[in-house]
Amino acid sequence: MSTAETMSTPLAQTPLPDMPVPEGPYIALENLRKAYRIGGQTIPIFSGLDLAIPRGDFVAIMGPSGSGKSTLLNMLAGIDRADGGTLRIGNSRLDQMGEGARAAWRAHHMGIVFQFYNLLPMLTAAENVELPLLLKPLSARERRARVAKVLDLVGLAGREKQRPGLMSGGQQQRVGIARAIVSDPDLLLCDEPTGDLDRASADAVLDMLRFLNTEMKKTIVMVTHDPQAALQARRTLHLDKGQFLEETRAAG
Amino acid sequence: MSFRQTRVMIRAALTSLPRRLALSASMALSVALVVSTLAGFLAMARGFELALAGAGSPLVAVVLGGGTNQESGSAIPPGTVHALSVLPADTGLARDAAGHLLMSREIVVPVDLAEAEGGASRTLALRGMDAAGAVLRDGVTLTQGHLFSGGARDIVIGARIAREFNLHVGDVLRLGPVDWTVAGEFAAGGSAFESELWADLETVRATFDRQGEVQSVKLRLTDPAALITLRENLAKITETPLTAVSEAELYAGQSGRTAGLIRLFGWPLACLMAIGATAGALNTMMSSVSDRTVEIATVRALGFSRFSAFLATWVEAVILAIIGTVLGLALSLIAFNGWQASTIGANNARMSFDLAVTPDVMVWAGLLGLLIGLIGGALPALAATRVPLTAALRARG
Repeated sequence: MSTAETMSTPLAQTPLPDMPVPEGPYIALENLRKAYRIGGQTIPIFSGLDLAIPRGDFVAIMGPSGSGKSTLLNMLAGIDRADGGTLRIGNSRLDQMGEGARAAWRAHHMGIVFQFYNLLPMLTAAENVELPLLLKPLSARERRARVAKVLDLVGLAGREKQRPGLMSGGQQQRVGIARAIVSDPDLLLCDEPTGDLDRASADAVLDMLRFLNTEMKKTIVMVTHDPQAALQARRTLHLDKGQFLEETRAAG
Repeated sequence: MSFRQTRVMIRAALTSLPRRLALSASMALSVALVVSTLAGFLAMARGFELALAGAGSPLVAVVLGGGTNQESGSAIPPGTVHALSVLPADTGLARDAAGHLLMSREIVVPVDLAEAEGGASRTLALRGMDAAGAVLRDGVTLTQGHLFSGGARDIVIGARIAREFNLHVGDVLRLGPVDWTVAGEFAAGGSAFESELWADLETVRATFDRQGEVQSVKLRLTDPAALITLRENLAKITETPLTAVSEAELYAGQSGRTAGLIRLFGWPLACLMAIGATAGALNTMMSSVSDRTVEIATVRALGFSRFSAFLATWVEAVILAIIGTVLGLALSLIAFNGWQASTIGANNARMSFDLAVTPDVMVWAGLLGLLIGLIGGALPALAATRVPLTAALRARG
């Protein structure tokens, strides 16, 4: 696709440091354990969870409330820690990193798409998208060029100066996606990305995620309640009571 | 990069201020209140000091007797006064063109004067002095009328008294048992002199039954160092213990005590208020962190540092404190600077002075205001670094 080709050039201008890719899956969870302590009670979420996701995969995770979907996503994002087991992404052991290192890791390797977009209302669309780039050694000009490219990619060219409050939910989520990919991360984590959208907007967002996976080779892990959304993924994992029950692969 | 993160976080914090306008405004106002309270007290102390500092000259020696270093309670025997008047020419004392020593014997009598017809009376200092007395004082100019003359019940009044009591040259007023005529009015740059009434020494002594009494002797020195020579000579001419201080020292000593007392009240009161304002600031900033939880959690999830969250919250607190401080100082300047106050001076008489919001007053009051922001904002800033990312990311932003 021509858009993808034009995208890949500017984003590649300041490549991230090369990561030696180890043998095996891109994301590997082994014997992962997690429990919450509430009011003196221990509530186990995972008691030895295993998961392997190869590079370039698009995985949907479905499951009822309380099944551990969000906890899993939070741990993949490094904003929550496992009690035990190993969590490796690329060649980084997130389970062994401190808080600061995980924040730095997120800044370089991961984009997050939120259910409620989590855009800063006082910043314009372009300023919101620019946020992850502020953590990189780029000049203002380089940052502007990258922001313009990704906003163009998500179909919001010309809306740079608009504030989120004046945009529809679908548009806001597209700004959210632009923010997630602007620093060209390998991994996209999507937390119910269509949960707050009407069907048409949801479909547009899912198309975009699919495009990012197929054309830009992003590895995507998406937590969702929406079966239609899950259908867009290469495979769907069903989580219940802290265990993966079954796996559904997309047809074709 | 850290600077960029912090800058955008600060911007986000400040531009979200309208969402919590009432709380933020109340924090700024409470800081303003503390700052203006402290500025008020300090301006009072400083104004008092300036009024007395303006009155004292290092070139005028004040000789006091009776083991005191104040005019009230001082007494100098007539023999000693005579011995002083005949001190030889080479003793560092200034003389007039005719070769007479520039010397004034003085007493201060507290007198009551009604502010208006039937109004409350106030105690003022009536100073009896020799004719040289007015000449001895630096920075004093006769603005209207003439000086008192021997024998007549004439008084010369300070500009402040003229203003406060609405007195003019030619007015007759009753001080003690007799009537006096206002012969002249003098200005002394707003100093403590302007709160005095001056009259002829003999007339004052006769009227108030203080024959032969001298409380102090003022002498003009040729240079400030001559005070030491004078002290040596005093020990030679009499066995009565006498003290010689410069007029500047005398008034500085008086101002030091009273200004110290004003500050002694002002600082604890302002500090107590500051503790209250700090608690208010803490509350305001905690609300700010709570209000910005999703935003803080979002940028933290994107990889922003804890430090940027800390600094943004702290800067918001300091900026609100700065707004309050500027407001407080502006209010102090408008309301207090030049505002007239009065107190009981060293001679048990009323002394008027202007409150002075000087740069040092503004710096101290301003620092206290800033401190409220720095302390009140520190804990909430720490709380901002501990925003639970997991819960916040699921909240509707």
